[in-house]
Amino acid sequence: MKRIVVVLLTLLLSGLFSSTLFAADTFDLVIPLPLTGKTAKFGEMMKRSYEMAAEEINAKGGVKKKKIALSFEDSGAKPETARAIVEKLIDTKKQPIIVGEYTSACAKAVAAVAEERKTPYLVVASADDDITQKKYKYVFRQNPVNAHYSDSLIDFIAKVVKPKTMVILYESSAFGTSGAEAMAKDAEKAGIKVLLKEKYEAGSVDFKPLLSKVKATQADVIYMVSYVMDASLLMKQIKELRIDAKLFAGGAAGFAIPEFIDNAKEAAEYVITATLWTPQLKYPGAKEYADKYKAKYKDFPSYHGASAYSAIYVVKDALERAKSWTPDGIRDALKATNTMTAFGPVRFEDKEGYQNQNFTDTFVLQVIKGEHETIWPEKYANKKYIFPIPTWRERR
Amino acid sequence: MTAPQVEVLLQTILSGLLLGGLYALIGIGMTLIMGVMKIINLAHGELMMVGMYIAYVLFSTFHIDPYLSILVAAPALFLLGVFLQKFLINPVMKVDAIIPENQVILTVGIGMVLANIATIIFSSDYKTTPVDYATKAWYLSDIWKTSPIEISLSLPWTVSFCCALAITGGLWFFLGKTDMGKSIRATAQDKDAALLMGVNVEKMRVVTFGLGSALVGSAGCLFIPIYYLYPDLGGQFTLTAFVITILGGLGSTVGAIVGGLILGVFESLTSTYAGMGWAPVGRFVIFLAALIFVPQGIMSLFTRKRFGK
Repeated sequence: MKRIVVVLLTLLLSGLFSSTLFAADTFDLVIPLPLTGKTAKFGEMMKRSYEMAAEEINAKGGVKKKKIALSFEDSGAKPETARAIVEKLIDTKKQPIIVGEYTSACAKAVAAVAEERKTPYLVVASADDDITQKKYKYVFRQNPVNAHYSDSLIDFIAKVVKPKTMVILYESSAFGTSGAEAMAKDAEKAGIKVLLKEKYEAGSVDFKPLLSKVKATQADVIYMVSYVMDASLLMKQIKELRIDAKLFAGGAAGFAIPEFIDNAKEAAEYVITATLWTPQLKYPGAKEYADKYKAKYKDFPSYHGASAYSAIYVVKDALERAKSWTPDGIRDALKATNTMTAFGPVRFEDKEGYQNQNFTDTFVLQVIKGEHETIWPEKYANKKYIFPIPTWRERR
Repeated sequence: MTAPQVEVLLQTILSGLLLGGLYALIGIGMTLIMGVMKIINLAHGELMMVGMYIAYVLFSTFHIDPYLSILVAAPALFLLGVFLQKFLINPVMKVDAIIPENQVILTVGIGMVLANIATIIFSSDYKTTPVDYATKAWYLSDIWKTSPIEISLSLPWTVSFCCALAITGGLWFFLGKTDMGKSIRATAQDKDAALLMGVNVEKMRVVTFGLGSALVGSAGCLFIPIYYLYPDLGGQFTLTAFVITILGGLGSTVGAIVGGLILGVFESLTSTYAGMGWAPVGRFVIFLAALIFVPQGIMSLFTRKRFGK
């Protein structure tokens, strides 16, 4: 019993000490994110990016002479865990701002807590439209919403390809279905007739029966919403069947990462895809961030990492302008944000039914000579798009 | 029917047959084990996954073509099968347990262990063997210039299909013409009679499990050039093999071949004419239909007619 009391006392004292000793020269920020479970890969990438940003800022003297001290809590992509973490952060640690989470379900849970406790929350990479449509005053989102994901892609298709017909193939999951629905709506608005909208089971071996049906429709554009392995199998089998659409387009996810080209090889050539960010963008720091990340972890980061990296700079910017480091002070500073980051310009606007939402451009990539190149919008392009694309017979 | 419709139908049936041939090879191993040991091996898909990882490792470190790696994967899987049978399944078969068919539950456990070992060694990332001929194909219009329709035949799919046929043919010969093959069939027919006739039943069981594993291991090598690989891939192929085994009649090798082809073509036809989202439904419809209408398997229909019983 005595020993327990002693241990408790030491713990209490050291706790007091650390908070009184170090609170003076650090700004503590605990970030909830998934480090285990299915989305752990993205959580890991974001964790590394947050750390990179904090290191850079600290090396340059920190925020108002205070160092940013990051630590992380694993939510395992479970909304209830994320909620518990954030309740603890706000109620007991009195952290004046919450940053983080990845899946939309978790972000929604955190947003509800933050709004209730009047503490600003910066959403970094959760795309569900709903999160910033609930008239929340304290929830800010840096990444574009799902509904605007393929804006540039539609723009490119409408302005350059000018198709009359389209086929949409998508995997039978929430992600696939919502992507296909959004595209069907956009296509209708642009006056494109959707001839066929078919789902498939992710992990299928043989797409040829489905694809031969697609071939018979002779559609101008084939749009696919898939994860990486299905994406490359689809393109490989499209090449085998020599389906000559005017354009093959993918909705981000499986088509926008380097593994797609590694697996589909020459079948990936000329395929276009939507994306939120690429290392080739001429945003200040974008290239430096990507190179530094690659040097350290041997892989290019995707937009998740870039958004996380930039989020720390957005927080720093808000902290510097905030009148006081209280939740309301930081909230007002965030609302007035108008800064440029490696992820692009950040400004939290109220429009189209969204509140505190950052609207950035999305981009179109095309696979040219085995590399993803940015081709649209034109002002960001680093290569001229290739259209019309050659038929499969001509390609050999 | 118009030309494009004919084209869709022919292409569908063609890809169904190619897929069916590969399915048959997966199913035949399970059916063999089922026939001799009277247990359903639910680690079947995981054994295929092991074969695929062998092909993957050989390809990525020594640049050995996946098709050639059958020569390594099949013996390796044979040994693995022998080991599993001798040291895990046999001891369990001998004990009386509270639950019936406890060996079947054991195979589920073996499958989980294999999948988890693969996750530890290779992580859960997707792996492929990007071969140069992955998207090569032959086209009808290249041979017959004025053809009104275009049919394509994929090179790796065709090679895989032919290899599957060759392996199945080899198995047929082994079971029908060799002493050991005959002993295996005798054990499958009547274990006690075979024992009285001097067949080493224990050994036959071990050999059969090894053989079944080797077959599904080579199926893995045939699959990897056209598909991809991850540790949890086993389950979906165990299921396919199971459907084929039921469809073909438990323990019938010819039945497994016919069952595989039927399943392949049926899946393709559902994908084309009902929608690809319906393919899994099609698989279970055929499974249920087989259980209700031909509980003895497809082959029982033919034998009944022949003998007029």
